[in-house]
Amino acid sequence: MSTIAIISAFADDTDCAHAIHALRDAQIRDLNTFAPIPSHRIEHALGRSRSPTRWFSLTGGISGVLTGLAVTIGTTYEWRLNAGGKPLVSWPPFIIICFELMVLLGGIFGFTAFFLFSGLPATVAASGYDRRFGEDRFGLVVRCDEADAARIESILKESNAEAVVREEDTPR
Amino acid sequence: MAAAPKVQLDPSFSDIDRSVLGVMSTPGLAYWTWIAFCFTLVGIAGAMWARQIYSGLGVTGLRQPVMWAIYITNFVFWVGIAHSGTLISAILFLFRTKWRTAVYRAAETMTIFAVATAGLFPLIHLGRVWFFYWLLPYPNERYLQPDFRSPLVWDAFAVSTYLTTSALFWTMGLIPDIANAREAAVGWRKKIFTVLAMGWQGTDRQWRHYSMVYLLMAGLATPLVLSVHSVVSWDFAMAINPGWHSTIFAPYFVAGAIFSGVAMVMTLLIPMRKLLGIEDLLTPWHFDNLAKVVLLTSLVVSYAYITEAFMTWYAGDPIEQMTFHMRYFGPWGWMYWVMVLCNCVIPLLLFSPRIRVNMVMLWVITIFVNIGMWFERFVIIAGSLTANFEPSQWASYRPSITEIMITVGSFAWFIGLFSLFVKFLPIVSMTELKEGIVWLRKALKKGYSTAA
Repeated sequence: MSTIAIISAFADDTDCAHAIHALRDAQIRDLNTFAPIPSHRIEHALGRSRSPTRWFSLTGGISGVLTGLAVTIGTTYEWRLNAGGKPLVSWPPFIIICFELMVLLGGIFGFTAFFLFSGLPATVAASGYDRRFGEDRFGLVVRCDEADAARIESILKESNAEAVVREEDTPR
Repeated sequence: MAAAPKVQLDPSFSDIDRSVLGVMSTPGLAYWTWIAFCFTLVGIAGAMWARQIYSGLGVTGLRQPVMWAIYITNFVFWVGIAHSGTLISAILFLFRTKWRTAVYRAAETMTIFAVATAGLFPLIHLGRVWFFYWLLPYPNERYLQPDFRSPLVWDAFAVSTYLTTSALFWTMGLIPDIANAREAAVGWRKKIFTVLAMGWQGTDRQWRHYSMVYLLMAGLATPLVLSVHSVVSWDFAMAINPGWHSTIFAPYFVAGAIFSGVAMVMTLLIPMRKLLGIEDLLTPWHFDNLAKVVLLTSLVVSYAYITEAFMTWYAGDPIEQMTFHMRYFGPWGWMYWVMVLCNCVIPLLLFSPRIRVNMVMLWVITIFVNIGMWFERFVIIAGSLTANFEPSQWASYRPSITEIMITVGSFAWFIGLFSLFVKFLPIVSMTELKEGIVWLRKALKKGYSTAA
């Protein structure tokens, strides 16, 4: 049995999310979407786990604080400057450096994680992509066996899909 | 009779794309003449800087005791201008403020260019610019490390973090829009947009990680906005110089930064919406809300001026009192009163709802605010230095043509970069505008005519 991709377009994310719920209720799980805007409705309907990028930002932030402490305290010992009889490691001003490095590395780590997890830069277009999905339509791609195609198309049309097209599936 | 709004009151996603991408049409002769004019001024400023590097800081008006003057004024002014971008893009994002969607890209772009402009001034102010790296935690040739107790080192960290984080935040927001522009573009533009979009297709996987990282970046950028100008203010507040040594400087400078930054956003956007024909996207509803931010921060700044005067009187330090007497009634007293007029009095007009949606009036008011805020920085920085503890050290300051032309060049550099951006990348976020379309429709229907 060959695998096919059924590509459908929706005018809004409510219908698209409704179609996803209906398909998941019918035990059809291999779903992907394209959207011109981020949609919480679609995200919740797909039931994906929360993005792990947040742990990268946290790691970056903690690394920034530790780097700040290492740089400030380390250089203070490297160059022992007695300023007005204050303790050598006078930590309150070092908080500023730690804070700035926390934001800097937290941001850089998060940004890098976004690229890694999103598969960017991507040189090949994802199967089923259409330029309308960047403009004003929400796309839903269902991968299935040919035997299930008719049932899936019926669910999509019931959910107000504007266009439903079958394509040979290409490897992801 | 007022002209009828040229756009429909119910824009679709496609209308938004058409309007925003329409701005990026091939520019004409007038546009290139404007760019050439801006960059000619930048070239003159560059030549003046080269001359200063060759001859030394003697070509400026900087003399003891006024060793910080126009250059540092410009630095503080431009860092302040940069504040509105992150305020609008990050803080208002976290508060889910609806009107920010149409203006945030322009404000964020302004942030990047303003910080890039500000960052030049500490370098220009260095006599030996090639030793700029001494501010970084890297031992110089005498094995001296920077002193992390110095506010100037904090400043190097704060401003470079601000520039980097703002640039990352700005880049992330641009990716979906550039992908959109890629689909509509042809020729060399399509090739460039294809590279810049990095294969973005708006899949659920991409949006899931995008939304999370965007939220986290906004969360990181929010305290950063408040910290950067606080750190800049500590360049002064940590010194014992009369007129500078004040605990209110951090909130006072942050409020001033947001005040001047939002005013600058309006100064740029009001003519731009007309010239680029995007009145339907940047409606008077957006400007009404921006004007309220300007009014609020004007009141905060006015309160800070009064508090500063009160503290000086109440503390009873005669030297501090003398400095403030000089500030109000000395040879440069007129600058202080120009500042009060521009920052405290003229913005009170914004209490009028009619003025808040009158584009001409708003434009004039925001220009006054920009002038007032530049004078505020000059009065605090150079004014306070003219009269020190020792009357024998008192001296005046007169800027040289080098400083004046470099200042003019910095404005040309900022406006020139912004003008280039407007024509080559999406100046309004299509993605966020589509997300906020319900609110845009409501604003248009509420009676905020686009032709105001």
